[in-house]
Amino acid sequence: MERKSEWEPAIAGFLCKWCSYAGADLAGTSRKKYPANVRVLKVPCSGRVDPLLILKALRLGFDGVLISGCHPGDCHYQAGNYRARRRIALTKKLLEYIGIPEERVQASWVSASEGAKFAQVAADVAKDIEKIGPNKLFAEEGR
Amino acid sequence: MTTKKKISKKDIGKLLGIWSQWFSVLVPSKEENVAKMVGWDGKDVSFLVWYRNTVVPPKANFLPPVEKMFSFQQNRHGYHVEVPQDEQKRLIFGIRPCDARGITMIDKVFVETYEDCYYLSKRKNTVLIGLSCTNPYDSCFCTSLGVKPTESADVDLMFTDIGDEFLIEEVTDKGKELLASAGMVKEATKADDAKAKTVQATVSGMVIRKVDTKDIARKLQACFSDRDYWEKVAAKCISCGVCTFLCPTCFCFDICDELVKKQGARYRGWDSCSFRLYTKMPMENPREEKWRRVRQKVCHKYQFYPMNFDVAACTGCGRCIRLCPVNWDVTQILSSLPASVTSRGDK
Amino acid sequence: MEQELRKEARKLLEEGKVDHIIGFAPGSLKFSTTPLITKEKEEVASLVINRFMVNNLAKFLTEIPGRVGIVAKGCDGRSIVSLIQDNQVVRENVVIIGVPCSGLIDIAKVEKLVGKDRDEIDDIALQGEKVTVTVDGKRKDFPAKEVFFEHCLGCEFSTPQEHDTLIGERVAAVGHEELNRKRIKELKDMAPKQRWAFWKEQFTRCIRCYACRQVCPACFCERCFVEESQPQWVSPVPKWQDNLVFQVIRNIHVAGRCTDCGECERVCPQNIPLRSLSKEMSDLVDEMFHYKAGTDKNAPSLMTAYEHAEAEDLFR
Repeated sequence: MERKSEWEPAIAGFLCKWCSYAGADLAGTSRKKYPANVRVLKVPCSGRVDPLLILKALRLGFDGVLISGCHPGDCHYQAGNYRARRRIALTKKLLEYIGIPEERVQASWVSASEGAKFAQVAADVAKDIEKIGPNKLFAEEGR
Repeated sequence: MTTKKKISKKDIGKLLGIWSQWFSVLVPSKEENVAKMVGWDGKDVSFLVWYRNTVVPPKANFLPPVEKMFSFQQNRHGYHVEVPQDEQKRLIFGIRPCDARGITMIDKVFVETYEDCYYLSKRKNTVLIGLSCTNPYDSCFCTSLGVKPTESADVDLMFTDIGDEFLIEEVTDKGKELLASAGMVKEATKADDAKAKTVQATVSGMVIRKVDTKDIARKLQACFSDRDYWEKVAAKCISCGVCTFLCPTCFCFDICDELVKKQGARYRGWDSCSFRLYTKMPMENPREEKWRRVRQKVCHKYQFYPMNFDVAACTGCGRCIRLCPVNWDVTQILSSLPASVTSRGDK
Repeated sequence: MEQELRKEARKLLEEGKVDHIIGFAPGSLKFSTTPLITKEKEEVASLVINRFMVNNLAKFLTEIPGRVGIVAKGCDGRSIVSLIQDNQVVRENVVIIGVPCSGLIDIAKVEKLVGKDRDEIDDIALQGEKVTVTVDGKRKDFPAKEVFFEHCLGCEFSTPQEHDTLIGERVAAVGHEELNRKRIKELKDMAPKQRWAFWKEQFTRCIRCYACRQVCPACFCERCFVEESQPQWVSPVPKWQDNLVFQVIRNIHVAGRCTDCGECERVCPQNIPLRSLSKEMSDLVDEMFHYKAGTDKNAPSLMTAYEHAEAEDLFR
């Protein structure tokens, strides 16, 4: 991978253990090439992702957040991804309202067999975040 | 011995301008309709017209809501620690007698009992210019706590409104020095002094809310174990921190360390005994129930603090009444303490 | 109406149908009320119904034990239903005394209009679409919509739908869509960078008194996320970044349970426009999931429900 600029986006990736994490693993074992911007955090289910985790990642300085889970209907815990879907939808829209571009928070459905899709998602998300630029929103010390 | 001077209201801007040469001058201002002490912009003195009192008391200038105690960085030899130095010379213009008394109260803990370096450096570098009240709120009850709305004991200079002029009382040497280079400050006449005394009497009479503070400590001691009574008193409190944070004499704080990789900082910030987890410890929380916390707040202010320092931890500024989300009113509680203890005892 | 309310409350206590009555009593400041929580039937004589009964009494349902008779306006009535949906309150343990409300007067707005503080105003009288404010004996009239709370100006549920008794007749709210979302619209007209700068500035003033959280009936968590230290999600001290995270997350956590009672904004001692966040959140909830808080006690709460296909356009 060619380094285009000094700054590379740092993306916090919350991947659900049963589908997306396995999918990411498959991307690796299949030797699919994709940018290394996504820092993987394994969660038992995308439904575990509290919007607090998303905000905390942005607060710490991550440039983007990716939440990835099982396809609707395939959740290992029946409905966890449905809960995630509502939460993520509301979070994105509220963040946009307060001035954080909603593209900083991205979500995908990646199953355990979709190694190629995960590689594509990681690349696409990295490109999107690169376009928005580095996250300096929380940087300045007001107090 | 205090001597009296005076200044025309029209010259206040000029006076502040002179002081701005040596001090960072803070004056009352409004942001989003919230009155607070802010850095003077160099010309606006319109606060002389609207100012009654701030929402956040001037204690915030000595004990800020959040303060960095030190920052640290790990290096080859261990840790490099940096303590922020605050030697800025400040002048607070317009502090009310209740708030100034509050600072004196906090001094008892942060200066006399233990020397808190952060508080001390701000305290010794700040000059307090008091402004006598002219328009007390209906929530004010300073006169019941031994504070007159024109009290000058806790400031360096006291300004009293006598119409088109302010009478100035030089209370401390620091205050006297400040007037040395102010040409527009004149000697006050006997008539001016008499006028000020009339104003002081009138304003004291305008403080209509009163509490009989005789024997409060004893009354509180008597009903301390009355759980039913305190549960009723505490019923509508919602355990937020408004009353304690906005109280000129409250000073509880929490400390937290924040570390990211090999560097970080230690911060100090306001804490409140009203919060449920204020007394939480690993094995228990002695004040888990709301009635215990409400009892603690009332007793700390009117029983325990007097036991330790011979003065109530309250100056009657009334902010707790004015800004409480549920209009919990401490003067109502103090005026209706039960005469005797009832059956159910609890610690 | 007040007599009817006092009679009803007294009856409930006398007949042993409830252990506590929660309602509004006159406050110790002018133009204010204070919650009355009592077991004594004599004390219900001080219950009032007026244009200043701002408190959301549903807050107390999660801490007062036993059976409770509670006075409810439209908004707090929905908060009660929301608590029932969340299994925090058992419907059979609550006797809801509905009080139709066509709007409350925001004393802060009156103060601004007449340039005087609450204790300097002699009288505030509402007559139809007009409010007469008397200061120093002099009267001045204002249109009612200039002194009502913003959230009252767009109120869709002025009469509590879920109730056991209703005091007085059902009323229509002072509907005024435009004014209800005035500040939100102003914010949406700004560029994202400006919006961020606005909120950053607002939250620099926050002192983390938690009045907003404590006054909210939807915030009933035993341990709030700000009180966690392992891990620490937000700093316990009021740095603006953490103040902002706290408020944004609080709003997302109460999504679908916030009934726009406006208390959070009213109680903030720093006048931070919190409702500009909470109202936008409840609008998003309605827009995306066609859900309004506290309108159906048998409906699953927003975050526990789902449709098989929704919001798919946001997912890769």
